[in-house]
Amino acid sequence: MTAVDFDVVVVGAGRAGTAAAYKLAAEDFDVALVERAKQPGMKNVTGGVLYGQILADLVPEFPEEAPLERHVVEHNIKLLHGDAEVSIGYRDMDLLEEPNYTLMLGKFDRWFVDRAVDEGAVFVPETTVRDVTQARDHAVVHTDRENGDLACHAVIGADGVNTTVGRATGIQRTMRNPDMALSVKKVIDVGRDTINERFNLDSDEGAAYIYTGFPEGAPTIGYFIYTYDEYISVGAVGGLEVLRWLGDEGYAESGTPLYSLLEEFVELDTVRPYVQGESLQEYQGILLPELSYESLPDRYDRRIALVGDAAGLVLNKGYTFRGLDYGIKSGLLAAESAIACDREGNWEAFGRRYDQWLENSYVLQDMKQHRHLPEFLKNERMYGAYPGIATETLRGMYSAGSDAQGLTWKQAYRAFRNSDAGFLDLLKDGYRGLRSL
Amino acid sequence: MGVQDSLETVQWDVSEAAHITVDNDYCVTCEDKPCLHLCPAECFDYQADQKGGIYFAYEPCVECGACMVFCGNDPEKGAVSWSKSEGGKGVEFDFG
Repeated sequence: MTAVDFDVVVVGAGRAGTAAAYKLAAEDFDVALVERAKQPGMKNVTGGVLYGQILADLVPEFPEEAPLERHVVEHNIKLLHGDAEVSIGYRDMDLLEEPNYTLMLGKFDRWFVDRAVDEGAVFVPETTVRDVTQARDHAVVHTDRENGDLACHAVIGADGVNTTVGRATGIQRTMRNPDMALSVKKVIDVGRDTINERFNLDSDEGAAYIYTGFPEGAPTIGYFIYTYDEYISVGAVGGLEVLRWLGDEGYAESGTPLYSLLEEFVELDTVRPYVQGESLQEYQGILLPELSYESLPDRYDRRIALVGDAAGLVLNKGYTFRGLDYGIKSGLLAAESAIACDREGNWEAFGRRYDQWLENSYVLQDMKQHRHLPEFLKNERMYGAYPGIATETLRGMYSAGSDAQGLTWKQAYRAFRNSDAGFLDLLKDGYRGLRSL
Repeated sequence: MGVQDSLETVQWDVSEAAHITVDNDYCVTCEDKPCLHLCPAECFDYQADQKGGIYFAYEPCVECGACMVFCGNDPEKGAVSWSKSEGGKGVEFDFG
């Protein structure tokens, strides 16, 4: 048997990789957590809410100890149509019972890695992994450091959407435009009191806003606003396939960059009040997987397991994004597979066992149940005709103008007839929506 | 605010070695040049005197990887060769 440097090498110190390292270290495994940035979080970007129950199961003291931003008590979906907006708001103080928070990864990831190191994990920063190879009875992680190759029983690839572990080993297939979305985000200093005023929040309560419908009819383009302690983040997300042709299809005169759409978005009358007086702290860009359950690539090969974004474990539900907790759960399952392999003295089943457990976990059950969602969210009518019908109907209900006459159902019917959507579309989309949401 | 102003808020420890390179031979036959509007850091610039019209700079890269997907992985394009920046180098976000 070849001598190994570590039982397990985890590549990437995001939440997924760190959860795996924490768990393994807590079980007295020799585990290395390899990270290419100088500090955890420096290469990481999120636009989302941490649904923290899975982390609370692992680190019960996390809500008290971790640097968290705001405890999310309110979610809003906003359909934009020209100067109008239709909003569905959900505010519930019972949400305070759940450990769901907005995060800044620069602070959060540093804390989480420190906790893993406290448990005994070896943190190896400033080290980029170039390849992973497997021999008969071990695996080797090749890094860009001199004499920096690490032999181990198993490798956990937690190195994000552009996973080197996945691509260099051929586990992950080549990603193409339809499977990927681009996001740009701005972090703005607004101040704690102003945030509480603007978003109608108390102390450390937080809100999340999701927008669609701008530019009109452009499918897969969405926007978000999240509240942090003293800052807010405002960002745009769009499928690469749509962004590639946006403009050529007639939405603008030429290809419109996502950052330009974001600039236009924050200037909308309905959005500006939330973000005005902006003092930009940081601009960021990131790619995110936008795969459906059926199109997910492979996740393992013998002693190698891919977790989190590297395995494409992200779901845009339309009304919220899931990914942070999927990453943590998948990292934990990979760790548990390693623990089982060690107990049996056979590491060959490491990847397969992880994948089976992942398949049965809430992560893939969730993605399976929502497997029609990615296709549903590519429907142009969701971004044009339907917000239009909704705003026109509501204008009829609330405007005293002369064009708003008759009973509400008649106005709704008229708005529908004036839209691009047909009856069959409505039935079809309604059915698809019910089936996938 | 233009994207160049936005990028002034970002920190880098720029590596001497380029982690992304562009083979301009491919740019010659690329008609729509999606790099000019898809890169969120404007690393690609149209310059008529460059071969294929594309000038590329890796220094302001925010390491999203989009160029690998929309160009490097596209069988009809393929100008971009992509790898992760060397250990400790590249973009350094504070507020991810």
